[in-house]
Amino acid sequence: MSEKQLIEVGKKLRVGFYGITGCAGCLESVIFNEDEIVGLFNLVDVQAFPFIKGANSNVNLDVAFMEGLVASPRDQEMLQEVRKNARVLVALGACANSGCIPAYRHYTPLENYEHLVKEKEDDIKDVLPSPIDAHVTVDFAIPGCPPNGKEILEVVKAVVAGKAPRSYAAPVCIECRRKGNYCLLELGKPCLGAITRGGCGAVCPSGGFECWGCRGQTEDANLPALIELLEQKGFSWDFIKQRIRTFVGLKTPDLEPLRRELEVEKV
Amino acid sequence: MSTQIDLEEMTKIEGHATLRLRVDNGTVEHLEIRSLEGSRYFEGILRGRLYNEAAEIATRICGICSVAHCLAAHQAIENALGIVPSPQTREIRRLLHLGEYIRSHAAHLYFLALPDYLGVPSTLSIALEQRGAVEKAILLMKLGNDIVRLLAGRDIHPVSVTVGGHLKIPTEEQLAAIRERLEQLRPAAVGTAELFNSLSYPDLHVKLERFSLYSDSEYALISGSIRSDEHEFEQNDYGRFVSEYHSPEHTANFVVREGHSYMVGALSRLANSMERLSPEVAALMRAGPFYHGLDNPFLINPAQAVELVQNFDDALAILEKLRPEPEAPPEIWVQAGHGIAAVEAPRGVLWHEYELDDAGKILHANIITPTAQNLRAMEDSLAALLPEVVDQGRDAVVATAEKLIRAYDPCFSCAVHFLRVEWL
Repeated sequence: MSEKQLIEVGKKLRVGFYGITGCAGCLESVIFNEDEIVGLFNLVDVQAFPFIKGANSNVNLDVAFMEGLVASPRDQEMLQEVRKNARVLVALGACANSGCIPAYRHYTPLENYEHLVKEKEDDIKDVLPSPIDAHVTVDFAIPGCPPNGKEILEVVKAVVAGKAPRSYAAPVCIECRRKGNYCLLELGKPCLGAITRGGCGAVCPSGGFECWGCRGQTEDANLPALIELLEQKGFSWDFIKQRIRTFVGLKTPDLEPLRRELEVEKV
Repeated sequence: MSTQIDLEEMTKIEGHATLRLRVDNGTVEHLEIRSLEGSRYFEGILRGRLYNEAAEIATRICGICSVAHCLAAHQAIENALGIVPSPQTREIRRLLHLGEYIRSHAAHLYFLALPDYLGVPSTLSIALEQRGAVEKAILLMKLGNDIVRLLAGRDIHPVSVTVGGHLKIPTEEQLAAIRERLEQLRPAAVGTAELFNSLSYPDLHVKLERFSLYSDSEYALISGSIRSDEHEFEQNDYGRFVSEYHSPEHTANFVVREGHSYMVGALSRLANSMERLSPEVAALMRAGPFYHGLDNPFLINPAQAVELVQNFDDALAILEKLRPEPEAPPEIWVQAGHGIAAVEAPRGVLWHEYELDDAGKILHANIITPTAQNLRAMEDSLAALLPEVVDQGRDAVVATAEKLIRAYDPCFSCAVHFLRVEWL
């Protein structure tokens, strides 16, 4: 986020929390800050939060948080409207940032879902599922399916203090090791923690479940190395592709050339 | 004189929906609840994925009922593979599910429904005047969340539930801490039931068959047969009882039984499982507005509040006995199969169905959500109610309609599924 977009210190920020097509889990993550939610409503001027509040206003927002992905013309329209009225737009969660699981449709053969396609009125017709930055400029991204609730508060507090929020750059493995977890990859699970941006507190591996990569890849992610390791552990190339693409397919480099490079190296 | 009312997008519901209404000379001529969520095609995306990936994908249908989706997906897959989880796994799942009930009921009752009865836009924006109610709501929500965090690994989209078992067994100390908090907060749950019992609800009577899970041995939330006043059937027979249809105005599907609307949710559960209630909960139900008849959909709200106390009592009864032992999930024998499971999400019966090939890949997935089942009931209830208020002007019509729809605790993210229109 550039300095010019930052908000004047001392003024109560006008904030909106919005959702387009999605599961509402990211907006819930805001509310599930049980100890801070009343404080948040005092710290900033919550102009809009249609999920939990009537009488919402969309004009002149300082910061707008947008959950969800674009899946219909109505989503596009709402997103444009919010973008136009907000100085800072934050993409809240995996759908907004990468299209999340609904965007896995890009890798789903039509024959798998054509029986589900029905005729619809114009505003809710299908458009190709896409993250919001495919349509508007996004100023800051909070990754995760859903994001860590504390992370959302940190962003609000940073903007209130006139600072640019920080994003977490290190992989999930760093936090996972710090928690003293067994390495799930070593135990033979297809864990993507090594290539995935942390900041989640390694919440899934700590719960006994392998990382599926919902926060997106780190800048220095070594995909070929992980792919090679997973293949050595007996996972098929089809399975590996499906896993890596499940949450962040649209934000993942083309996997086929990476694999071809691996094969060339082996020869 | 003809008036067309296109409600702005409804607030204080999960997901996006609107109401379209045409009134001619004081009569409601056309009425339709429109879901505005884009289609996400989860059942298509699930095809070709492995049996043990179903829950991680299907939970993303809904953040609010993610525990219910997680349990329904796992149980349907287990049924397909012929796996019966251990008694300890079952008790951990029941407790986890009760955590979701407590947070969901608390959040819906205080943040989404109560403003309608206080005549304010939001409970949080009047935090100062309603401090007591807000504090109670937040404490209840936090307890429910902490139960889910402990047993599911995280508060939304559980990760510790696995096919046939549980990945992270809680310690006795952790469970004792939860038990202590349940005991401390039980009076707040009772207070919630008393508050919602004392509110005044519009008088409305709609003939709707009330379906829920039912069991002879417990207040059924994760297993049992499907029951109403008139019918009872086994979960595997659901295809014979429900059929779905689609209309172009919606991204959601409608589910009906023999062409008629029916109702799922807290009021159906209370009505069908009255004999399973703990004595104090039964007394709270007798003290509530239910004696006017269980055919008033507005009473879903006090039903949720009364049920909240039952959730506390069930959770405490589980914790009385649960002494968790380390237990590794079972080895899975992958084979072809077909499995169906129904779980009571806080807003009603949720169905998951999977067909697996012999490598454990999903060939077919079908998910029917509570809101899809309630959509027709919501419309029928509105059709019965609106003639009463239609001459009071647009604002009154809108307020009454929203209040009624909200009482159903709908979840429009969940409802958006393109399923087969006809079920054979």
